[in-house]
Amino acid sequence: MYEIHMRDFEVLDISGDIGIKAFGKDMEEAFVHAAQGMYSLMTDLERVQEKKKIDITVENNSLDGLLVSWLNELIFNFDAYGFIGRKIEVNEFTPTLTLPPRGGGKGEGEVDKIASQPTYKIKASIRGEEFDQERHEGKLLIKAATYHKLRIEKIHGIWEIHVIFDV
Amino acid sequence: MTFEKLRRIDDTKIEVPLDYKTGMRVKGIIYVDTVLEKELEPQSIDQVANVATLPGVMRASLAMPDVHTGYGFSIGGVAAFHLKEGIVSPGGVGYDINCGVRLVKSNFRKDEVIPKIKDLVTMLYSEIPTGVGSKGRIRLKSDDEKRLLIKGARWAVEQGFGDAGDLEKMESNGCMEGADPSLISDKAYERGKAQQGTLGSGNHFLEVQYVDEIYDEHAANSLGLFHDQITVMIHTGSRGFGHQVCTDFIQVMAKAASKYKIELPDRELVCAPFESPEAQDYLAAMKAAANYAWANRQCIMHWAKEAFMKVFRVSPVKLGMTLVYDVAHNVAKVEEHQVNGKTMKLIVHRKGATRAFPPGHPELPEIYRYIGQPVLIPGDMGRASFVLLGTEKAMQETFGSTCHGAGRVMSRHQAIKRAKGRAIWREMEDKGIIVRATGRGTLAEEMSEAYKDISNVVDVVHKAGISRKVARLRPIGVIKG
Repeated sequence: MYEIHMRDFEVLDISGDIGIKAFGKDMEEAFVHAAQGMYSLMTDLERVQEKKKIDITVENNSLDGLLVSWLNELIFNFDAYGFIGRKIEVNEFTPTLTLPPRGGGKGEGEVDKIASQPTYKIKASIRGEEFDQERHEGKLLIKAATYHKLRIEKIHGIWEIHVIFDV
Repeated sequence: MTFEKLRRIDDTKIEVPLDYKTGMRVKGIIYVDTVLEKELEPQSIDQVANVATLPGVMRASLAMPDVHTGYGFSIGGVAAFHLKEGIVSPGGVGYDINCGVRLVKSNFRKDEVIPKIKDLVTMLYSEIPTGVGSKGRIRLKSDDEKRLLIKGARWAVEQGFGDAGDLEKMESNGCMEGADPSLISDKAYERGKAQQGTLGSGNHFLEVQYVDEIYDEHAANSLGLFHDQITVMIHTGSRGFGHQVCTDFIQVMAKAASKYKIELPDRELVCAPFESPEAQDYLAAMKAAANYAWANRQCIMHWAKEAFMKVFRVSPVKLGMTLVYDVAHNVAKVEEHQVNGKTMKLIVHRKGATRAFPPGHPELPEIYRYIGQPVLIPGDMGRASFVLLGTEKAMQETFGSTCHGAGRVMSRHQAIKRAKGRAIWREMEDKGIIVRATGRGTLAEEMSEAYKDISNVVDVVHKAGISRKVARLRPIGVIKG
């Protein structure tokens, strides 16, 4: 038996923009590492203290959409309020809710309504602090997480996420 | 999908033929000479082909010589769509809605400014908020922000930033009509609150430059430019406000694309039919973000003027800092173009491309109507920037569009690696360019070597006739995020 050594995330390097390759023993952990990887592009995380906690909930009707929305929610909290996270605790992670059966005598509009309802959800508490230009290093200004070459997959038992940011 | 399939049309452009990719409705045309062709990324060619598959795409999917891989649409991409059969795509505009450039001229000459350039750069850096996590000098209350979104640069002028005379020297007079603040999310409002009047980070900058070469004396005269004159160039956009608008509408459009059964080769190309409520909502929100950007550049110009006045202790009249022009390079607009001899309204997407309207175009301000639209092309911080003019040929070939900048050749990490052990700021200083940047990595990422040579890019559009060179500007002072 080999013990699996893995780093939490790596920086993906492409011309013009930048991304994160994150790993996890389960999907939830990979989501957390993707977020921490993204934070590490924004500042040196060593210097971020756990002074403040924010709770966030994100829902989406696809798994890719959930990941992009999750990261965009963190970007929003940084860009609007200066909040930069360090420690992330996931309270609820429901990536595989079963869809109600389609059709079943319902009108077409009804089916559409069900299909567009969020079926993936993540609830998390994030500890960190407000960014301070004096104390924290400003690295990259991330505009958004994108669907460009987005990947969420299980490779040899390890969950792997590839996500590219617009900077 | 191979390079072999590409066909050279002439010295300045190559064709991406219809059989390059299944589903292409029109061909692709990439404006590159044989030198820049070698730097083409396979993925960006693919993106040009992908755009050619979208419904209602007209004539050809175009890319300018500064083309590089983007999300969905390539950067440097131009595509026009039919208003009945065509689509609108946020990916064809980009996250930084109305990222753009303005050029400000002065009465000063290079030799008057160089002795005080260090003080000037320090003053500009302290007057203009820059960098990641910087806080702006303006706090927008909700009603103010709504007014700003409707009025654009006019809002800034009403707040005392600059003069009403500036407005006519901006693309769309610094305001797109039809912005609808009710379509803006709370998140976008929150992000926009403290970011009005901020430069941002990355490739955004403010530069003090001088006119070092004039290619067309008559045109330079008309623009009020002369040899050795000091100019200021401002490159920034709609900041977090625009990024959030794009983020929000990518989600809306993802649903719309499946609702209207539009087949997409790439998820970042999500779109909706032009006439659909989703597309119309996006356009009304995009216009609000475009207006946010015009106000932003107006505020920053005002503070730049103040910095000059403080350092040189001169009156505004003596300083003579006035706007030459302001262009958007990430925006979608309904414009009239000729297709098969017929005048048609089309929705033109420019992502990392500049509008380049010819002399006589009704949308140009009177002062420039007889010379054509000024086109402002920023280069990297160590080389040069260019002033060009729009042409009739651009109208015929590229829906009145041209390039927007240099385009990267090195990834950020490659650049950082290459800069290791070097003091980029000192190398710049040795070249006579004083730089101040907030981020430690910014200078390395943004060094000249990381970009294509802007002169090559500009030469291609000049030779192709889709714009013509007027003047070259050299930097002597730079502030960056």
